Amino acid sequence: MPTLKVNGRKVTVAEDVYLLEACRAAGVEVPTLCNFDGLEPWGGCRLCVVDMSLAKWDDDWFKMVTACNHPVEEGMTVITDSERVLATRRVVLDLLLARCPETPLIQRLAREHGIEETSYELNPEPTDCILCGLCTRVCDHIGVSAIASTDRGWGREIAPPFNEPPPDCIGCLACAEICPTDHIKFTTSNSCRTIWGREFEMLRDPKTGEAVITKAQAEHFAARSGVPMTYFETSDRSKRLEVAKTVERLRVVKS
Amino acid sequence: MAEQPCVDLSKTEAILGSYPHEEPSLIQVLQDVHRAYNYLPCDVLVRVAEVLEVPLAKVFSVSTFYKAFSLEPQGDTIIKVCTGTACHIRGAGQLVEELERKLGIGAGETTEDLKFTVKTVNCVGACAMAPVMIVGEKYWGGAKPARMSRYLAEGGSDEN
Ligand code: SF4
Ligand code: FES
Ligand code: FES
Repeated sequence: MPTLKVNGRKVTVAEDVYLLEACRAAGVEVPTLCNFDGLEPWGGCRLCVVDMSLAKWDDDWFKMVTACNHPVEEGMTVITDSERVLATRRVVLDLLLARCPETPLIQRLAREHGIEETSYELNPEPTDCILCGLCTRVCDHIGVSAIASTDRGWGREIAPPFNEPPPDCIGCLACAEICPTDHIKFTTSNSCRTIWGREFEMLRDPKTGEAVITKAQAEHFAARSGVPMTYFETSDRSKRLEVAKTVERLRVVKS
Repeated sequence: MAEQPCVDLSKTEAILGSYPHEEPSLIQVLQDVHRAYNYLPCDVLVRVAEVLEVPLAKVFSVSTFYKAFSLEPQGDTIIKVCTGTACHIRGAGQLVEELERKLGIGAGETTEDLKFTVKTVNCVGACAMAPVMIVGEKYWGGAKPARMSRYLAEGGSDEN
């Protein structure tokens, strides 16, 4: 197991982790925007940059790398708050603030890095999407791939095919939940959910009548897992009621 | 959209038949499809996604990423006017204006009879010949607005 030094603190971590985890193990916060535990790191936002030096390099030789996707190595030295690291993060946030001037998360991160106003030209069409790719990656991860990044450069955005209601979407909300800026809008009622311009029928708990998940989502997971559909329509409240009943029965047996 | 193909899908089937049905074939297939139809019709994209077993969102993503692909029908002949620095200085603007007068369309547009599409591009690497215009496959160096009719007549159609 490799041992590294993060901001002077020694930490030992597992073989196959990335620098970000070593930093966390050392109790050092590194800001991230496109990283999510459980998804492969992507290295897209560049906010997590750190200075890194290998044991065999000259003592004062450092390279800037993204912590989220750089593998750990024995004897590495990591510095997360050097002047150039902080300056780089400021550029990233300055640019993001120009793109998303009205987005609270970006405003807050920028402020924490000493930026009140962007020094770049403001985006004439403010958006909340920072193009972190989390939504499309989680959608791929669950085997749906209903949305993707479209176009390029200035025009790049996250969209369903042909900008129409996506045929492959199952209405699971994974994209909306993972979006760090709440850019993806949806509505859920007891009978219907809407997202990406599509409407989904909700599956209701037969006992309590509560909406649990969309029918399309239950079908998707039932088909992949072999778990029966009825499993998915049971609401949490229903499950708790079931458990309570079981506990009752246990008590009866005991006494 | 997917149910009622408004284009002839047999060309697509033939193209799909000559590649392995897997994701790495995607760009090749799209290039061939683009050559066959002069653009990427949406029902063709749906069919390509189905056969190669690539999510439609990915197919759309690739189709919109590359400038070489168009999702709109294009003219038989594609006219590219270079508006790179050298060509700009030597009067590319007048070429675009002359085209607008002659064909009634601006950059990025297609004539109603689907004969011509006008595009502006940035430096085609022939600055010494500026201003450069490409009509179909034919390159015209030192292009002059007054000779536009000739360029259009001799350009020939485009195997883009
Ligand atoms: S919509 Fe949200 S999750 Fe998706 S890329 Fe934009 S900011 Fe990231
Ligand atoms: S968190 Fe590392 S690049 Fe985005
Ligand atoms: S600018 Fe037109 S060829 Fe270079």
